Amino acid sequence: MSFIPGQPVTAVVQRIEILKLREGDNLILGFSIGGGIDQDPAQNPFSEDKTDKGIYVTRVSKGGPADVAGLMMGDKIMQVNGWDMTMVTHDQARKRLTKKSEDVVRLLVTRKSLQDAVRQSMMPR
Amino acid sequence: MNNAKNQRDSDIQKKIDYEIRMREGACKLLAACSQRDQALEASKSLLTCNSRIMAYMSELQRMKEAQVMQRVARRSSDAGPMDDRSPCKGKVAISDLRIPLMWKDTEYFKNKGELHRCAVFCLLQLGGEIFDTDMVMVDRTLTDICFDNTIVFNEASPGFELRLELYSCCSEDDYSAGSTPRKLASKLSSSLGRSSGKKLRAALEPGACSPVSNGGAAPLLLPVPPVPGPKYHLLAHTTLTLSHVQDSFRTHDLTITGNEECSYWLPLYGSACCRLAAQPHCMTQQMMSGCLRVKLGGDPQGWTNVYAILKGTNLFCYRRQEDIEANVEPLLTIGINKETRIRAAERDPHSKAQSICISNQYGGEEVTHTLATDCREDTQRWMEAFWQQFFDMSQWKQCCDELMKIDQPSPRKPALITAKQGSLYHEMVIDTSDDIGTVTDILARRIEELELRAQLDAPPHWMSLFEAEAPGSPQNHRNHHHRTARHSPHTPSPRLHSRQPRSPSGLLSSDASLTSDSDSPCSTSPRSHHAWPRDLPPTSGRFRPRTLSLDAKLSTLKAQRGYGGFQCSCQSPSAGSVAPRPSQTALSCSSSTSSNSSSEGSNSPETDLAFSRPSGARRSLRNLRAKLDPRNWLQSQV
Repeated sequence: MSFIPGQPVTAVVQRIEILKLREGDNLILGFSIGGGIDQDPAQNPFSEDKTDKGIYVTRVSKGGPADVAGLMMGDKIMQVNGWDMTMVTHDQARKRLTKKSEDVVRLLVTRKSLQDAVRQSMMPR
Repeated sequence: MNNAKNQRDSDIQKKIDYEIRMREGACKLLAACSQRDQALEASKSLLTCNSRIMAYMSELQRMKEAQVMQRVARRSSDAGPMDDRSPCKGKVAISDLRIPLMWKDTEYFKNKGELHRCAVFCLLQLGGEIFDTDMVMVDRTLTDICFDNTIVFNEASPGFELRLELYSCCSEDDYSAGSTPRKLASKLSSSLGRSSGKKLRAALEPGACSPVSNGGAAPLLLPVPPVPGPKYHLLAHTTLTLSHVQDSFRTHDLTITGNEECSYWLPLYGSACCRLAAQPHCMTQQMMSGCLRVKLGGDPQGWTNVYAILKGTNLFCYRRQEDIEANVEPLLTIGINKETRIRAAERDPHSKAQSICISNQYGGEEVTHTLATDCREDTQRWMEAFWQQFFDMSQWKQCCDELMKIDQPSPRKPALITAKQGSLYHEMVIDTSDDIGTVTDILARRIEELELRAQLDAPPHWMSLFEAEAPGSPQNHRNHHHRTARHSPHTPSPRLHSRQPRSPSGLLSSDASLTSDSDSPCSTSPRSHHAWPRDLPPTSGRFRPRTLSLDAKLSTLKAQRGYGGFQCSCQSPSAGSVAPRPSQTALSCSSSTSSNSSSEGSNSPETDLAFSRPSGARRSLRNLRAKLDPRNWLQSQV
């Protein structure tokens, strides 16, 4: 899942649609993110390539909207509602996910198991 | 004198034996270890041991030579009473070593292919002491090689030569087994410099050196039994002397050996920055002390008895000796520096004592203090001390202007390297910026699992108590309302609801409390007056130290579990470290809570019991602090 600067990024992704849950004044999604281009990528326990500065899902609250939608811990978020998340700061990422005007977020996420599954199925017998 | 010599001999001998044992250990470790890091570390220790052995051997050689020379000198009765003044020794410390790299821009930005990594470390040698720094992995993402160690050499003379050598080893090398000892021998001996290398080779001729226990091969020769493993090569070196000593950072030139073709090559910029400080003993220790009589201004005949101490650039005169320990200000402080003039004068023709006049220039004026001692020997001793002080100052030059600070190196912390590789964090599943909530989550999950397991057995008989008292859902709703009424931001009620079907009725309220991020005592209010005395008033808004809140939370949990009849013992944590029996995850939560200090930024102590979305101001403060600390890997809940 590492990238070459200047080249388009390709990944196998899964679409996940999360319906935000309204809790009083807040809309919550029920997961936590880590990473960002302003963060130290070496401390990311989920990334394969330790120079990957993407946004990763570090925790999913049980039973929360994200869990229900199928988001898993360790997923790397590639897009949120069409906005790119591979080259954003941590705060930008958080903001894109927590827009008050949006009730639903559609994410494109990638995870290693997906890549592996596809690769497996593509391998010549 | 002979005894002293013999003592020194045997000291060195012991050191050599020790180093040989270390070397054998390192060889064995190298042969046995499978991980690259271990191999690199072992290889580094091997190299250090070897250098130390060679240094000790050459020192032995030198001593023997000196002995011989002395005997010769004595015989020729050539040595008159020389003014054999030797300067005092001192401490020399080198710290914050940084070596800049100069990658080609293409190298720096390319992202393809394997990272070419080298393991580097520095070997520092002064006199007979050799120290190595920690090993640092260098690849093209690094712009400088930084060594954080502070290395202090204790007995350095002003004419010291601190030799700094940078060794590197390519990290992708196949460990080539069986590179001959001879090659390594020549490399190591050439790395020590031609003359010392020659000396060593001479010293290592059979018979020239003291017998050393070795497994047989030619007298101690070069170390290596052909051990497979990574080998370090000298990449650059430089020598620092007294003239390089300064109280701040300085850049020194490096001599680079090796060229681009070598596997261990790194594009060095050609210089090294470090802070080289020296503390001569004349500045830090009391060189002379004793009773004196000093003539204070005003009274031409009056002599005051003082206890004087010569230290650094001052002569401190205290009223009494006890004042020194009591940290009382000295009665008089006379500066003794390069500009001071001291002379002995006859005070009284018939008194045996001489007086010493110390003159300093303060501003344009010359100020003279007169001291007197009780007898001539004392005067002589003081004069001698002053002369020695002046001599030392002339030898140590700029180090005697002001005392340079040297930080003692702290005992080695466990290598940060492992943390960076993710092993610690792999275990940490918790989001540290949301500590209480996550901790309770984890615990709650654990508890739940245990609950479920326990439910397979018959529920304890007292459960009926609660069933009677708390009719199912309405109770929970009440709880829920309690909570939302009290605490403004959300509590994850979906969790609450989703948990309900799963858990049996009797344990509803435990769920209620566990799933919330809010005040546990409050949320279990219906039960709490059964379960637990309210030890913490519901103060959602009040600042509370984090560990205390964790304590409270966990003790409530414990209480509930106690009621639930569970055996899992979650004692109130002390200092935030939790030890619930269940599992790794819970253990890791302890590591996260106790690693509070290290990954501080994202979990500030302002976390309260309540809410996962703290109030605006606090949150922004916390966020700011978290953002500003570059060591943290921020996690945000959305």
